[in-house]
Amino acid sequence: MQAALRVDKASKTYRSSNRQPFKAVNQVSLEIQSGQIYGLLGPNGAGKSTLIGMISGAAKPDPETGAIEIFGHSVINDREAAKRLLGIVPQEIVVEPAFTVEEVLYYFSGMYGVPSRERGPRIKAALDSLGLLDKLNEKARTLSGGMKRRLMIAKAILHQPKLLILDEPTAGVDVALRQRIWELVRELNRSGTTIIFTTHYLEEAEQLCESMTVINKGQVIKQGRVRDIQQEFSQNLISFELFDRDVEHLPGVRAIGTMFEYVYSDLSVDMSRILAHYSGNIKTIHNESASLEKVFLELTEGKA
Amino acid sequence: MTYMWALYAREVKRFRKLLLDTIFSPIVSMVLYLAVFGVVTANKSIGDISFLAFIYTGLLGMILVNSGFSNPGFALIIAKNLGAIVDLQVTPIKSWQIGIAYALAALTRGVFTLCLAVLLTIWFIPGIHLYHPLMLIAVVVISGLQYGMLGVVFGMWARGFEALTFVTTFVLQPMIFLAGVFYPITNLPAPWNTISAFNPVHHTINLFRYSFIGYTDTPLAVSWAFVLTVSVIFFVLMNWMCIKKLNEPVQ
Ligand SMILES: Nc1ncnc2c1ncn2[C@@H]1O[C@H](COP(=O)(O)OP(=O)(O)OP(=O)(O)O)[C@@H](O)[C@H]1O
Ligand SMILES: [Mg+2]
Repeated sequence: MQAALRVDKASKTYRSSNRQPFKAVNQVSLEIQSGQIYGLLGPNGAGKSTLIGMISGAAKPDPETGAIEIFGHSVINDREAAKRLLGIVPQEIVVEPAFTVEEVLYYFSGMYGVPSRERGPRIKAALDSLGLLDKLNEKARTLSGGMKRRLMIAKAILHQPKLLILDEPTAGVDVALRQRIWELVRELNRSGTTIIFTTHYLEEAEQLCESMTVINKGQVIKQGRVRDIQQEFSQNLISFELFDRDVEHLPGVRAIGTMFEYVYSDLSVDMSRILAHYSGNIKTIHNESASLEKVFLELTEGKA
Repeated sequence: MTYMWALYAREVKRFRKLLLDTIFSPIVSMVLYLAVFGVVTANKSIGDISFLAFIYTGLLGMILVNSGFSNPGFALIIAKNLGAIVDLQVTPIKSWQIGIAYALAALTRGVFTLCLAVLLTIWFIPGIHLYHPLMLIAVVVISGLQYGMLGVVFGMWARGFEALTFVTTFVLQPMIFLAGVFYPITNLPAPWNTISAFNPVHHTINLFRYSFIGYTDTPLAVSWAFVLTVSVIFFVLMNWMCIKKLNEPVQ
């Protein structure tokens, strides 16, 4: 199957006259197969938006960049064809004060080549699925933050892109709306749109995507299936609570808050050892594996 | 092509929403100029045309140049400040088409303003009639586009309103004043008459005035050659500037 997005050793150096050149993205490579929902994770300033800027045409990649291709179309040599296949929801919310919601969508979809007679129905359908239809004739500027965010999403889907990139679509959005946005994303994905998104909410990556790339300081630090990454980093823990904390502990047991933790290699052997050692002193005991949240913190704090 | 026309339509819509500010203020200032000069130059004439008709056509040409320049200039700076410029970066429109869409919108605004200005004021200019309507249309279209393209160049280039105002005050306005709006450039002392002969705005005004009232102070062929060459230069500059600025995030 053809890759929806292929990024080969992309780099981006920001240069300005009064500062040192700064390499915000350093030799990042990715390949995302068509039909996926793909996560791009990384702490603030990791270079996610810069990478997306290079893909969308808002930032020119450094000359040594290998390739950036959307369904085989190079964003450098075949810009217009690549851009037509791409929908983009930028991280920054931008609304032009002069226009109504309908006008914003009408002109923007026209700039993607949607014929004028098709724009009306598509605008209504998109706004409807985002719960924004009643705002059709309002000035875009008067919308609330979450509504503006939805307007940005509507802008990106009217030309029915094959690849949709959402840069933190759920930042500053309440729980109900977040659900709604992910429902829409899933639905678009079911109807054949490849989705890439960045987020700081790790449970979103865990729930939505199969594969992901974690970047930090402009470089890829982990890439692969979410489950594999989780497993690789899962520290298998037995954690337990004691009635009396001041007892002699087994070697390897750490106190974490009111709990105690032990990294096990064989669950049944180690569990029996702990039960035998502490016996009646144990209030609660269970085993757990690390959440993505934990993996992420470890990765981006440079342990990996 | 739908792509480019949608952008054009958006920019036209934008100035239609701000109709009063964008169309009436140049007309009001033109009426003020006319009132002052009309009183001062009441009975003077140049050749067989009245001085008032001379100034009148010069002022109309000035409106075309000014609105061509300022419409895309300000629209682009606002877009950069808002961050809305990203719309131009991600949509599949070629850089030169983006420039042309803005220049065409500028031309549209210029034509609107011009027609309205003529309708409102022509009754006060005695004995005026259209000399060469077809040529007038050609001149209006080419000049409006030309200064629209120049507006795009500086709108893309300028970081803020200050920079654009600087260019307007120290480059465009002197060019307009040395273009023979208020007097024939042949009346100027050396070296100003020579400098004016190389001023692109002069040739625009000259062609405009000729096609309107039949008066010219520079051979038409020279003016046409100038205007067309300068249009090509502005187009190349505009394309270069659009590519340069749209490929990078706003700094
Ligand atoms: N236009 C620019 N000029 C100079 N430096 C920039 C520019 N844009 C981003 N940077 C720098 O590049 C680095 C990466 O920024 P980027 O916006 O790509 O991060 P991010 O991963 O999207 O972060 P966040 O999660 O906060 O959105 C940052 O250090 C930032 O300061
Ligand atoms: Mg970002």
